[in-house]
Amino acid sequence: MSTDTTIKGSLGVPMKRKEDPRFIQGKGNYVDDLSFPGMLYMALVRSPYPHAEIAGIDISEAMKVPGVVAVITGKDLEAAGLGWLPTFHGLDKQMVLAIGKVLFQYQEVAAVFAESRGAAADGAEAVQVDYNPLPVVADPFTSKKDEVLLRPDREAKTNHIYHWEVGDRDRTDQALQASEKRIRQRMWFPRCHPAPLEPCGCVAQFDKMGRLHFHVTSQAPHVYRTAVSLVTGIPEDKIHVISPDIGGGFGNKVPVYPGYVCAIVGALKIGRPVKWIESRTENLTSTGFARDYHMDVEIGAKADGTVTALKVSTTADHGAFDAAADPSKYPAGMFGIVTGSYTFPTAHAEVDAFFTNKAPGGIAYRCSFRVTEASFAIERGMDILADELGMDPVELRRKNFVKKEQFPFPSVLGFTYDSGDYHKTLEVALEKIGYQALLKEQAEKRAKGELMGIGISTFTEVVGAGPSKHFDILGIKMFDSAEIRIHPTGSGIVRTGAKSQGQGHETTWAQIVAEELGLDPQNILVEEGDTDTAPYGLGTYASRSTPTAGAALAMAARRVRERARKIAAHLLEVGEGDVEWKDYKFQVKGVPAKSVTMKEVAFAAYTNMGQNEPGLEATQYYDPPNMTFPHGAYIAVVDVDRDTGEVKVRRFLAVDDCGTIINPMIVEGQVHGGLTEGFAIAFMQEIQYDKDGNNLNTNFTDYLVPTSLETPHWETAHTVTPSPHHPIGAKGVGESPNVGSPAAFVNAVVDALSPLGVRHIEMPVTRDKVWRAIRDAEAKKGQS
Amino acid sequence: MKVSIKVNGVQYEKDVEPRTLLAYFLREDCGLTGTHVGCDTSSCGCCVVVMDGDRAVKACTMFAAQADGHEILTVEGLAQGGALHPLQQAFWDQHGLQCGYCTPGMLMTSYALLKHKPNPSDGEIREELAGNLCRCTGYNNIVKAVRQAAETLQAAPATK
Amino acid sequence: MNLQYSGEETITADKATVWKFINDPEQVGRCLPDVVDVTVHDPTHFDAVAKVGVGPVRGNFKFKFELQPSAAGDRMDMKITGGGFGSAIDLTAGADVIEAGQGTTKLNWSGQAVARGPVAAVGGRVLDAQAQKLISQTFANVRERLSAASG
Repeated sequence: MSTDTTIKGSLGVPMKRKEDPRFIQGKGNYVDDLSFPGMLYMALVRSPYPHAEIAGIDISEAMKVPGVVAVITGKDLEAAGLGWLPTFHGLDKQMVLAIGKVLFQYQEVAAVFAESRGAAADGAEAVQVDYNPLPVVADPFTSKKDEVLLRPDREAKTNHIYHWEVGDRDRTDQALQASEKRIRQRMWFPRCHPAPLEPCGCVAQFDKMGRLHFHVTSQAPHVYRTAVSLVTGIPEDKIHVISPDIGGGFGNKVPVYPGYVCAIVGALKIGRPVKWIESRTENLTSTGFARDYHMDVEIGAKADGTVTALKVSTTADHGAFDAAADPSKYPAGMFGIVTGSYTFPTAHAEVDAFFTNKAPGGIAYRCSFRVTEASFAIERGMDILADELGMDPVELRRKNFVKKEQFPFPSVLGFTYDSGDYHKTLEVALEKIGYQALLKEQAEKRAKGELMGIGISTFTEVVGAGPSKHFDILGIKMFDSAEIRIHPTGSGIVRTGAKSQGQGHETTWAQIVAEELGLDPQNILVEEGDTDTAPYGLGTYASRSTPTAGAALAMAARRVRERARKIAAHLLEVGEGDVEWKDYKFQVKGVPAKSVTMKEVAFAAYTNMGQNEPGLEATQYYDPPNMTFPHGAYIAVVDVDRDTGEVKVRRFLAVDDCGTIINPMIVEGQVHGGLTEGFAIAFMQEIQYDKDGNNLNTNFTDYLVPTSLETPHWETAHTVTPSPHHPIGAKGVGESPNVGSPAAFVNAVVDALSPLGVRHIEMPVTRDKVWRAIRDAEAKKGQS
Repeated sequence: MKVSIKVNGVQYEKDVEPRTLLAYFLREDCGLTGTHVGCDTSSCGCCVVVMDGDRAVKACTMFAAQADGHEILTVEGLAQGGALHPLQQAFWDQHGLQCGYCTPGMLMTSYALLKHKPNPSDGEIREELAGNLCRCTGYNNIVKAVRQAAETLQAAPATK
Repeated sequence: MNLQYSGEETITADKATVWKFINDPEQVGRCLPDVVDVTVHDPTHFDAVAKVGVGPVRGNFKFKFELQPSAAGDRMDMKITGGGFGSAIDLTAGADVIEAGQGTTKLNWSGQAVARGPVAAVGGRVLDAQAQKLISQTFANVRERLSAASG
């Protein structure tokens, strides 16, 4: 046979990214880069009022603005049956353009279509809207009273959206009562926003045959196609959704937004392509926010630190519409992961959600459906318990960890953790950071009155939605898919139902296929985001790409290999049973010298296939039997300036266990990025509303993104506990650092302040809050 | 109004609205979509280009008219004769990008930085890049990339 | 964002002159600082367009005025709603008109402003001063114009 072209071992290699050459040369292809002949620009008129009746809309001045072609309002859409669109899980509906009244500040009121970006903005400014202000409900606790009914359009005449609970309430209450030690803490995980650098946007275009080509910043293009079909009534085969390069998503680009529907309606009505790109202000004020969970956390324990019960009661603020991105059967997502890495004999969790006059949302900011809120609750709670017990938080965690031999571990709130080694991961972290030396240093500093803190978070995540018996969006089960075509010369194309927004699928998918087939990953083209070509999938969010699409891909590759085996047998002139896949090629069992490479087999599949089916391709749909459960041990070391309240993160170590690692360089990059987001959430990000319903964080001067100056240097390490049910043992890592780090940061700050008697501090932990906490604690001490 | 701006060595003579921002002039009038826009408040730096050889400017905060008669270098003009600029190579080598949206601005700010400070410390790099936001990388690898590029450029001063 | 202001202007004109002036929409409208255009609809309603600059938010804002004179002729209340740049500002202002002797009249005024939208968010830090200027300057202009006319 010919020279050996086998590529060995593509898995676990820090291969440079295949997508990068276009990005570093300014040749990316983002939605706003697209331009079509005759294209119009759309701008939206938004409400300055958080709650008001619309007495009238006058578009006459706007229509006089040079370049303005058309203006549509909620009434126009309602007349066309397009007034409302279903929210993510289909349990509520959202106004496309305000009908009768507005429910949050910056709500979409009218859409203006014009020949240029500037003319569209001028036109939007010229639309006159008469509002009659209504009383504003700016928090869920006021909402709870039902004094002002926000959604009279709904059947249930209440602001209460849902009650969800899991676990044994009575048993948990009894266990808490009987506990020797017990802590209770209200924690608010504030409303924040993913704020990807590329705002949301789209270009809607109908071709000469009336088929819609919809270019959009979407993390889930197939779901968009189905949703657009359901909303507009356009048959799904007449809709082509293309999600090109996406400038970051972090959950923000999962929901379908009103602007998209308006652009499609405009393109249809006017008969010209329509581009809509939102501004940063529009992004922060109207698209999916994250979190906003007010959690009451109670933990019971024996005097020796053995935990006995966990109870978490949450009040959730969902804004004006229930657009939370959670599967339909799980309105509080996977909040049941709140027992974390610990063996609680009993637990109970409940969530009640309410409407308010705020932007709708409740999406996952780099997190798997409310896992971040849950992880924060338990990891913060464990530290408060350690403080109550006078015990080292490390010791408390070690004592209550699920043990390696307990996996697969059935958690008391209903999950089956696939695999893990929590003790090992923690030990690696303690060793690497030098925990004992840090404790010694801290004791010395405390003796001098200096404030140094060490914060630990040993979280367990649940990702990879998911088994179809549990999870769906709009009724569509959350499986995923992959398709592989190997060309005659041994290169190939791969398509999946996922959609990269920076995660590097073009590289990691090529590595998986190359590993399974012994081909060159440089010649495996990965294409995603085009619904005309990619198999149906649910998209990329909730760290689900590797657990679902990645699994589908490995299985599709194995299907290709099985088909290739038949051709290999033909080439080697032996029976199929005598051919084995070894050392990345086919060889006759026991005769390593008699072998063929996949490249040779690929050529034969088109030129010399014998009696076998020609071609070499496979498609695989994959419904995961379980979620995957990545875990990690994070340690933050901070110094707090007693006089100014300034917190300096001196060190941060993340030891992650995400199972098998496909590309360590990409995994490290994901961890760096997620930690920086966790850092932002812990210390600076909050979407605040004043009591009148004004959004106070509408742009990057008020809603902060950490710069290179504030961002700490990140240290990373790994342990590897493969997932037993994933074809290559991978678990997904994108979100772990965002899920696990906020608690580590806050635990560190509270630890630093603990000599003053501080037990909790709410995020974002701003210098101002820390300074006040120090001042108040010192005043209290002075009195006693 | 008429403006005449040299972009990546090519002279563009265009008739634009006076309010046209340089960022949109580059993207829409010159078709150079590598320069991105990510905010409304001059905060994110996705739009940074280099003016007159060594000055990093935010193209969303300048009118095209203000660049009239000047020379602009955008990310599309970095690679020369099919060879990547050492900064581009370094961002690729060090995994200094993920979604790629901030990358052009990062590259152009770094380009101007290295013109002024050929051998910056990590602290100086972090300080100079503080006007460019990145949501994906956490900056560690970007700092490494700029350092690598500085070393490459110092080793081969003939390279631009 | 809720803001409250009050102040006092002493005008060199008698009460009847002042009362007549502040009941004239055209005159009151022209007292708005940086006013560009006044359109009178009826004796108590008029629109005014004024240049407003609040931090980075700058441009023409359109205000609708409603004059609410007291029957006794000693108090004028004004309701002002307006906006621009996707923002809304609702103002209420009222002034007691008091005979102050020696041919002078006092306007004891107070006002309240509620701002919503980018004006409140982006310009929040400087809004207080701007809204105060808007109201106090209006009353100061009333004094100046009347005093100039009578002097």
